Amino acid sequence: MPGLGTSFGRGGSTTFLQDLQNADCILIEGSNFAEAHPVGFRFVVKAKERGATIIHVDPRFTRTSALADHYVPIRSGTDIAFLGGIINWVLTNNRYFREYVVAYTNASSIVVDTFKGTEDLDGLFSGFHGGDTGLTAMSHYGGAAQGRDSIGGYDTETWQFEHDDGGAVKRDDTLQHPRCVFQILRRHFSRYTPEMVERVCGTPQNLFLLVCETLAKNSGRDRTTAFAYAVGWTQHTVGVQYIRTAAILQMLLGNVGRPGGGVMALRGHANIQGATDIATLYDLLPGYLPMPSIERNEQTLADYLKINTKRTGWWSNLPKYVISQLKAFYGDAATKENDYCFDYLPQLTGDHSTIPTTFAMKDGVVKGYFVIGQNPVTSGQNTGLIAASMDRLQWFVNIDSYENESSSFWKREGADPTKIGTECFFLPAATVLEKDGTMTNTNRLLQFHDKAVEPAGESKSDLWYLYELGKRLKKLYAGSTQPKDRPILDMTWDYEHENERERKRGEPSASRVMQEINGYVVATGEQLKDFTECRDDGSTACGGWIYSGVYPDKNTNRARSRKGDAWTALEWGFAWPSNRRMLYNRASADPDGKPWSERKKYVWWDEQAGEWTGVDVPDFAKTKAPNTPATAGASGMDAHSGADPFIMQLDGRAQMFVAGPLKDGPLPAHYEPLASVIHNQLYSQQHNPSLKEFRRRDNPYNGSVNAEYPYVLTTYRITELSGIFTRYIPWLAELQPEAFCEIDPELAVQKGIRNGEYVTLTTAVGEIEARALVSGRMKPLRIADGKRVHQIGLPYLYGNFGFTKGDTSGDLISLSMDPNVSIHEAKTFTCDIRAGRRDRRTGPLLQDSPVPADEQIPDGQPQTHGIDQLKTERT
Amino acid sequence: MSEPVLPALPDEAYAGAGNGKVPQLNYFNRPLLRKLHWDERVITYLFLGGAMGGSGVLAALAQRSGNEPLTRTSRYLSLALAVACPAVLVSHLGRPERFHHMLRIAKLKSPMSMGAWALVGFGALAALNAGGQLSRDGVLPAWIRRLEAPFGVRLQGMLGAFTTGYTGVLLSATAVPLWARGKYHIPAASVCSAIASACALNSLALTRDRNGGEAQIKLERLEACASVLELGLLLHFRSHAGATGKPMFEGARGERLRTWTIGAGILAPLALNAISLLTRNHKKRPFVLRALLGGALTLAGGYIFRETLIEAGKASCEDPEQAFYQSK
Amino acid sequence: MSTGFFTDTTLCIGCKACEVACKQWNELPSDGFAFTGMSYDNTVHLSGTTWRHVAFVENVQMDPQGLSDHWSMMSDVCKHCTHAGCLEACPTGAIIRNEFDNVYIQPDVCNGCGYCVPSCPFGVVDMIGQVASNAAYNVATLNQERRERDETAVQGRGGVAGKCTLCYDRQRDGFIPACAKACPTESIQFGDVDELKARAHERAQTLKERGLDASLYGVGWDSSVGDLNAFFLLTDRPERYNLPPEPVLPSTRQPAGYGAAAAAALVMFACGLAIFGRSPS
Ligand SMILES: Nc1nc2c(c(=O)[nH]1)N[C@H]1C(S)=C(S)[C@@H](COP(=O)(O)OP(=O)(O)OC[C@H]3O[C@@H](n4cnc5c(=O)[nH]c(N)nc54)[C@H](O)[C@@H]3O)O[C@H]1N2
Ligand SMILES: Nc1nc2c(c(=O)[nH]1)N[C@H]1C(S)=C(S)[C@@H](COP(=O)(O)OP(=O)(O)OC[C@H]3O[C@@H](n4cnc5c(=O)[nH]c(N)nc54)[C@H](O)[C@@H]3O)O[C@H]1N2
Ligand code: SF4
Ligand code: SF4
Ligand code: SF4
Ligand code: SF4
Ligand code: SF4
Ligand SMILES: [Mo]
Repeated sequence: MPGLGTSFGRGGSTTFLQDLQNADCILIEGSNFAEAHPVGFRFVVKAKERGATIIHVDPRFTRTSALADHYVPIRSGTDIAFLGGIINWVLTNNRYFREYVVAYTNASSIVVDTFKGTEDLDGLFSGFHGGDTGLTAMSHYGGAAQGRDSIGGYDTETWQFEHDDGGAVKRDDTLQHPRCVFQILRRHFSRYTPEMVERVCGTPQNLFLLVCETLAKNSGRDRTTAFAYAVGWTQHTVGVQYIRTAAILQMLLGNVGRPGGGVMALRGHANIQGATDIATLYDLLPGYLPMPSIERNEQTLADYLKINTKRTGWWSNLPKYVISQLKAFYGDAATKENDYCFDYLPQLTGDHSTIPTTFAMKDGVVKGYFVIGQNPVTSGQNTGLIAASMDRLQWFVNIDSYENESSSFWKREGADPTKIGTECFFLPAATVLEKDGTMTNTNRLLQFHDKAVEPAGESKSDLWYLYELGKRLKKLYAGSTQPKDRPILDMTWDYEHENERERKRGEPSASRVMQEINGYVVATGEQLKDFTECRDDGSTACGGWIYSGVYPDKNTNRARSRKGDAWTALEWGFAWPSNRRMLYNRASADPDGKPWSERKKYVWWDEQAGEWTGVDVPDFAKTKAPNTPATAGASGMDAHSGADPFIMQLDGRAQMFVAGPLKDGPLPAHYEPLASVIHNQLYSQQHNPSLKEFRRRDNPYNGSVNAEYPYVLTTYRITELSGIFTRYIPWLAELQPEAFCEIDPELAVQKGIRNGEYVTLTTAVGEIEARALVSGRMKPLRIADGKRVHQIGLPYLYGNFGFTKGDTSGDLISLSMDPNVSIHEAKTFTCDIRAGRRDRRTGPLLQDSPVPADEQIPDGQPQTHGIDQLKTERT
Repeated sequence: MSEPVLPALPDEAYAGAGNGKVPQLNYFNRPLLRKLHWDERVITYLFLGGAMGGSGVLAALAQRSGNEPLTRTSRYLSLALAVACPAVLVSHLGRPERFHHMLRIAKLKSPMSMGAWALVGFGALAALNAGGQLSRDGVLPAWIRRLEAPFGVRLQGMLGAFTTGYTGVLLSATAVPLWARGKYHIPAASVCSAIASACALNSLALTRDRNGGEAQIKLERLEACASVLELGLLLHFRSHAGATGKPMFEGARGERLRTWTIGAGILAPLALNAISLLTRNHKKRPFVLRALLGGALTLAGGYIFRETLIEAGKASCEDPEQAFYQSK
Repeated sequence: MSTGFFTDTTLCIGCKACEVACKQWNELPSDGFAFTGMSYDNTVHLSGTTWRHVAFVENVQMDPQGLSDHWSMMSDVCKHCTHAGCLEACPTGAIIRNEFDNVYIQPDVCNGCGYCVPSCPFGVVDMIGQVASNAAYNVATLNQERRERDETAVQGRGGVAGKCTLCYDRQRDGFIPACAKACPTESIQFGDVDELKARAHERAQTLKERGLDASLYGVGWDSSVGDLNAFFLLTDRPERYNLPPEPVLPSTRQPAGYGAAAAAALVMFACGLAIFGRSPS
């Protein structure tokens, strides 16, 4: 999550759920907290009971809104305008937390004079060249890159800070310098006025001002405000910048690293955090180490380290983590002489995320497909295309606990199995209850769980399948002398189970996998106590440095510990890094190390003991005194003073202005969604110029502002359902027995739609049907020039397997990507609606027809959107 | 930018009272009460049970007035019905094999429990008395007669009377708005309807008995009294029940009640009886066809009355407004 | 001690975890799959096989200002009345008041007469249809031995009356009811009724101070059903949640009924005597 990563230093949520109960105000925006995270929501309710004000900003009045003190409607896709408006209000009314801003953020840093912002360039930043996106170092984990390199549409040369001779960033603590970040911020957001917010978001001004006042009132020394968001903010072509805007606002209000404050990023699936930590993302190695890239020319370990290691800040330790990881991968085969087998690692040649890969499948470039624990034909976008591309595979392996729309893509409506050549394998997966392992939840908290029951029938754990796959590959390549086979032969692969019985049936040991992730001393085999013990001389092995410490010795698995309490519960599970529950918690004390206020004390400097103490593990060098000065010109942590809480960052501070590596600007700017109902009111640049498109006939777009698709459509989840497994549980299925969409009464009457009856939704990509749920909870909004906007809500969790059935919203959404994390824009697009059901699908869809070679894009690589022609369009 | 005036929208356009009009004061017009599961088997029981109880009463009257033919038929009919009724009842249970659980306890507060015991007692007595009758008719040996308790028949009459009425209490002591409203009328009317049905049934049985004429004529008189009282009760109930009475007195069901219960079951027989009054000859038996017709109509009316009660009860459960404000 | 529920609708997020936990623990079948269009409520009402039901009361206007908007959710359940119509009506004694002072149906005693159904002033208890009929799915999840062993689990064949058991089996083993356990926001609070009432009064007071017109339903009211051992804190008229504002204990009408019947019977006897007369002998 680079939005948080680039701002604060780490991609994870800055706080944890239990701490929300200490907030004086909670702004829930971009999440349907109560419905999608019901158990975590208890702490919001607790906060409310303690007198906190709960605000929910959402296009729909949801079950979260029902519990909130204030519900604030907004047009989907306009949060940057909304939050930018608050930033502008805070700045113009001087309601920011000055001491915090000056001491802990880069507001005072001075930017090079070649920088030009959206004010000067009508919606662009300086350095735009429209070229295609390359890959940037550390894009996910943040830790602002040196980033001289050209990234996507932008060359970041002009986004840099001025440095003094010692290499330190130049600052003006009076915040007066015209080129200091603070002043740039003022200018940048100056046009985000309450009037403008109403024009763009449709949010009535009085409600908007109420939010501003409430946030300001509940921030400062004595009070804190927490933000909570989830994919309502991320699934946009400017998604990362949504989170950036929130981060900047929280910096201004001084709420990060403090109890009851922070930015709570609500992660999705029970283990989605763990999945990103231990790298299911194509461009990451475990622990957010960047995957080597041809484009960045990282052919050798030396090049790789040179490009990715930061001179100052925690990332100066990168070599230790990379080399220890290679030792974990390749064991004795990894030596200093052979660069620790660095060249065994694959090299990125472009964007290999799921969406481009889908196109590559469609065009016959990618011939085989593993789907493990995912259901793309339901939860993907342009699902017709995904299914069509699966028709063209040679082989397809699905490891899943249930038959679903993907495992049986050839059964879909209108498909003719006799014409599909794909060889399909379905491997039954043990469910979570049928296997040992850990989950890492939204608190970055690892919790180990034991198998409760034996796997049903033939099913095996995912670990079993992958371990077995590795063993069999090794067997196949055994004795080969070809160098290209070394990676498989040298791979360390011994996770034999401690338990005799399990070993017999080939079940690998989840604990041993964890032990390797935690790391050990190569010579003695002793577990590492912590990642601080990692070495860059090959003497330590560590599979995923951020988890190091979870298995401090062979007999202690801290993810098993279960001593709870009502707040930080340090003895319950293990939170990375180093069991810290709240990140950057050094900021909960003032620069001198004293709590900002008695009411909000959390971690502080204990003069007598000469160390940091508090209710949490300090996210800071334990004995580094607050008054420790930064050593000029020093590298590593010495470049940070004792008052620089954001240890991952180059300068130890939270970044309001990000000098790269974000591909769509150092500051957030509002751009309209790819499919919108209105022209950008702020700039003549309509869309994120760096966003990624796939302009092909099998992926048509609705168009920027197209009268044929006059309504805003957003998709989301509901409490009652989740994946396919919930659709197979009658107790859940009966609660939401059929796909439905939420419509406002005014639109319903205009369109002759009756509550409970079928409607058909159409986009350029396709059409689906659903039941109509007509309710005043959907509120038509007034936006620019009195235009009336109707928003339609559509839960996306349906398919044609299970007891509750319905079309999937994926059949409506064209594929596009945000430039930073390649996420789709499922949260905001446009559609048309009519009463009645759709026609049955008999023949092939447009997605099924092959695309002529000249229209194909090599390896499915996307095009950058570039500068809009809207200026001309508009006249 | 001021919000535009919202167009007036039809209520059904909403999944809730989202139109900001006066919110509907119920839950999506869904019923408060659960739907009754009682079917025609229960209706049949109410009807036959009434006739049975009535026959018991007649048996007592016949004994007292020494009317041989009526004594015989009423005793035999009582027994026959005392066998049939439990069978019908048991068949409607969700778990018939557990019918005897009714006899685990006796609960004053539960009309159904009381009724079950009344049924048992009545059955036993009916068996004794009918047994005695059979031996007097030479079917069974003479000693059986000695089992006949002197007060047995009177007791059977009392229990009979109870069974004609408790079903009405059973209904009115529920949350069903219509029945609750009729807490006086329904029990009383049940008694009358039961007596009327019993008279009709016995008189029909007597048409084959050479010297049953007198009894038939007396039965027709008693039936007339019962019918008149029942008619009065029904009419009063209608005005008393007001809106609550709708499911019973209006629409197709009301029509059915008027045609069959009131028209065919009460007025028609009354008219027919009037003829017998005019033909001053009391010793003579009534004209057979008229007797048969009158009896059949009364019975039909009686059945429809019970059917209407149950079906209208079901319908009245559907109306939340009625169920919210329950009559004390 | 008598146990019960305090269900605080102001804390309910409508997640339906209680409804599902109840069905799972008691191994109840689903009631079928029909989209109602009634807000987020597709199970509509308590039934013989739905013992917790979450009602959704929408009062939300299209106006973006939404000053008077509220969408309240309420988890309905058997009220475990002090004077229970169902219990009084039951002719087999299947319905008892157990050691926890809960109104409990012994499914192995019930013979399915159906009289408790119309005798509940709250429309709670209902007959369990032939469960085997939808064996297609749920009953597959029903565990045979458990059904034999545990009389609180719905009996496979149905045909009996069903309603909340207040998790009698769990209480006996010292567990709190499944629904309360599952509730993430403590909207469902289980415990000693007197304590709960005290807590409820406090809660209502605080909410009133915050300007909410909170009222307790089923506590200290003058109703022939007496106080409810499962009572509620509401912020809207009871009718909006499908609760009767003035429930009446049905048996209170029996005296009137028996009286009227007796009167009619006497009249009939009188007529009979007059018509048939006394035998000369
Ligand atoms: N029951 C259930 N819970 C789940 C899941 C599930 O499938 N079922 N999935 C899990 C997963 S994988 C995830 S990622 C999380 C997602 O958790 P959430 O993001 O909280 O859930 P969503 O429903 O996807 O979207 C949240 C809200 O975003 C709103 N929204 C749409 N567009 C915008 C916008 O432009 N701005 C703002 N401010 N709001 C907008 C929608 O109206 C919706 O109410 O939920 C997790 N929890
Ligand atoms: N329109 C629209 N689309 C969306 C979203 C949206 O908001 N709107 N949200 C997006 C988001 S945030 C997400 S996370 C995705 C979620 O989409 P998916 O990742 O497809 O998530 P699920 O639908 O839950 O599918 C998970 C699959 O894993 C299987 N499974 C469960 N446990 C195991 C196990 O232990 N092992 C194995 N091998 N399989 C298992 C389940 O049976 C199921 O088939 O959807 C995305 N799609
Ligand atoms: S499903 Fe799991 S992760 Fe989601 S809210 Fe419930 S407990 Fe939490
Ligand atoms: S609510 Fe109904 S079912 Fe529950 S105890 Fe009271 S009367 Fe019986
Ligand atoms: S159905 Fe069962 S529980 Fe209900 S009254 Fe009859 S016997 Fe009692
Ligand atoms: S107490 Fe038990 S039976 Fe009653 S509703 Fe809760 S879970 Fe269901
Ligand atoms: S579990 Fe609790 S919060 Fe969820 S619906 Fe039930 S009562 Fe409401
Ligand atoms: Mo997700």
